[in-house]
Amino acid sequence: MPVEELARDERFNQITQADRMADGRNALIGDSEKSRRSNRLTPARPDASEAARALMHGIFVGEIQALEGAGRTCWDFTTGEEAPFELKLDMARQAWDEARHVEISLKLSDWMGSEIGQYAENTVLFQAACSNDPVLRLAGVNRALEGLAIDVFTTMKEFGEIAGDPYLEFCEDWMLADEVTHVKMGSDWLRKITENDPERRKKALEFQGIVDKMFSYGGSRSDSEESSFAIARRFRELAGFTEDENDHIADLGMQALNERKAQLREKQAAAAN
Amino acid sequence: MTLTVTPDTYNFVAFDTAYTTRIAEHMAAQLGLDDIDVLIAINENSSLTRIEVEVTDSLITIAPHSGALEDTRRPRQQSELNTTITMARGMLRARDRLRGGFAEAPADEALSLPQAAIWDTYIMGRIAHMDIEVNKQAWVYNFRNRHGFSDAADAVFEQVWNSPTATWAELNALSASTVSVTA
Amino acid sequence: MADPTKPRASFAPWDRRELPGSFSVEETARRVGNYKWAETKLFEVLGGWIATVPELDIKLRLGTHCYKHAWHAELWHKRLPELREMNPARLTVPANDALVRFIDAMTEPEDASLTIEKLVGVYRVYIPHFISAYTYHLNNTSEITDMPTIRSLKFILQDEFEDWRDGEMLIQSLLETPEHVDRAAAHQAKLEKLMLEAGGIAGHGSIGINTQAPQGALS
Repeated sequence: MPVEELARDERFNQITQADRMADGRNALIGDSEKSRRSNRLTPARPDASEAARALMHGIFVGEIQALEGAGRTCWDFTTGEEAPFELKLDMARQAWDEARHVEISLKLSDWMGSEIGQYAENTVLFQAACSNDPVLRLAGVNRALEGLAIDVFTTMKEFGEIAGDPYLEFCEDWMLADEVTHVKMGSDWLRKITENDPERRKKALEFQGIVDKMFSYGGSRSDSEESSFAIARRFRELAGFTEDENDHIADLGMQALNERKAQLREKQAAAAN
Repeated sequence: MTLTVTPDTYNFVAFDTAYTTRIAEHMAAQLGLDDIDVLIAINENSSLTRIEVEVTDSLITIAPHSGALEDTRRPRQQSELNTTITMARGMLRARDRLRGGFAEAPADEALSLPQAAIWDTYIMGRIAHMDIEVNKQAWVYNFRNRHGFSDAADAVFEQVWNSPTATWAELNALSASTVSVTA
Repeated sequence: MADPTKPRASFAPWDRRELPGSFSVEETARRVGNYKWAETKLFEVLGGWIATVPELDIKLRLGTHCYKHAWHAELWHKRLPELREMNPARLTVPANDALVRFIDAMTEPEDASLTIEKLVGVYRVYIPHFISAYTYHLNNTSEITDMPTIRSLKFILQDEFEDWRDGEMLIQSLLETPEHVDRAAAHQAKLEKLMLEAGGIAGHGSIGINTQAPQGALS
């Protein structure tokens, strides 16, 4: 299903990753090396409330797209021939989980003071779920996207813990538990379906790498303090990611951060001339 | 009085200087700041929502980052409401320092997070009472993040939000006592 | 102290379960295979519609219901080998071609403007037929030999009733004009006629009444 056909009410405005990449502005808080201020999303940031609100809205629309992606996988493939019955059962279960995550995000958004559609919706997450091969969808969604969710939810959970927010930490922890399940589903099915098809497995892992890179765009996730989110290594390991995989994500993040900084310096220098 | 908005043209966002100037002039008149020079210097290189304010006896400088005027639904497009609120926030902070009993308040960059939050609450409460559309819950959340999630903090928030006048000493004392109660 | 060796009745006075039932093992397996096929078609289409429905509350409800019907399909899938069907796929079939036509018609609405039709098809036609077929089965199978099916039917019926209520309330919330009511009624009538041809989720005899007309009479 083309991403342009995702059904939304009038409150939503969708943008693409290309739109986001075309933004020549900097989202870093000054030169963090000079000011020793971290860009990590913690309550210590001066703009913490606003940043957390914007992120919560991003989580909300991301969960809608994850719900839609899981649902489409139930429909798009013939049971048995293209996708095993048990795989579809897992996707239906994931649809339920994501529906609950949308509900949680809605309640948290009310709590934090943001409105539905207050921020633009980036459709990159659904685009990762659009492949014609169910194995590629699992790689893109259940491993790459849900891996990102683990990083983001861990950051939000810690944010809630530090701020003393009674709901945020509680809710993010419950969602984290579900995401670990989703990653495991993806890992298990990827392995099972491609057991006798190394070429298909290779393609799936390459696709996962592409999606990981897409989600690392702008360097918002890395081991650097200049990134908003850290790599949540402990929860990723629980979900079945290996140390090598986590290191690879961290490297991608640093590369993306440096590329984005260079790109912005270039754009802003060109504008100044 | 001169009110100037810079830059004239933009590279990264679709803002309109004349439009911003009209909004700023209207707000300055509403807030009684039409007797002092005002410079609005928009930083379009940054997408953050920060608003930096400096005041002297003869000049108010408000330097919002472009995210503060942006339509969050349509990135890089200007929002009338957010531009209005940003002008109001910057000008109220400046007026507070110049004439509102906030002469002793630390410089913006020296404010602690709770101090910044209680002053923002005082500012946003007055904006809300000007019948400008404000998301109060967002400011409740901001206040709670700095003063704790408690009934005591919520009560102080309501008090400050509904105060038409306050001094720095009053706000600072309220903030300090709220933080210590909920710690 | 009670005498542990004193004989007791094997069935307590309050245990009134009867032994006979209307369905043989094979007939039960056939019905269960039909149920599994039908629940699978339902969860697939609910999942597919999530992305095509703009109403946020309905989007979320479809996600929850998608899982519930998938779980029903799973319960039936697990029951089949217990009914001597070691290849569940063999019996996971539609009751007849007419039911396939029904499913095609029910799943046909795709556009974002057709939420009324999507919900009416499921909650005013398909799910009520599940409720009737399952209730008939529950009330007619052996309470002793077929307890596992009864257990599954009870769990599933609880979901079906809740989903039916959820769906009906959503439909009522969408019907804002007489034109909406006409759309709902027209789509329901169209689908009910197809279901009439099919005879029900398990074909003719789904609820113990043979709805099959003499050959040729339904053309």
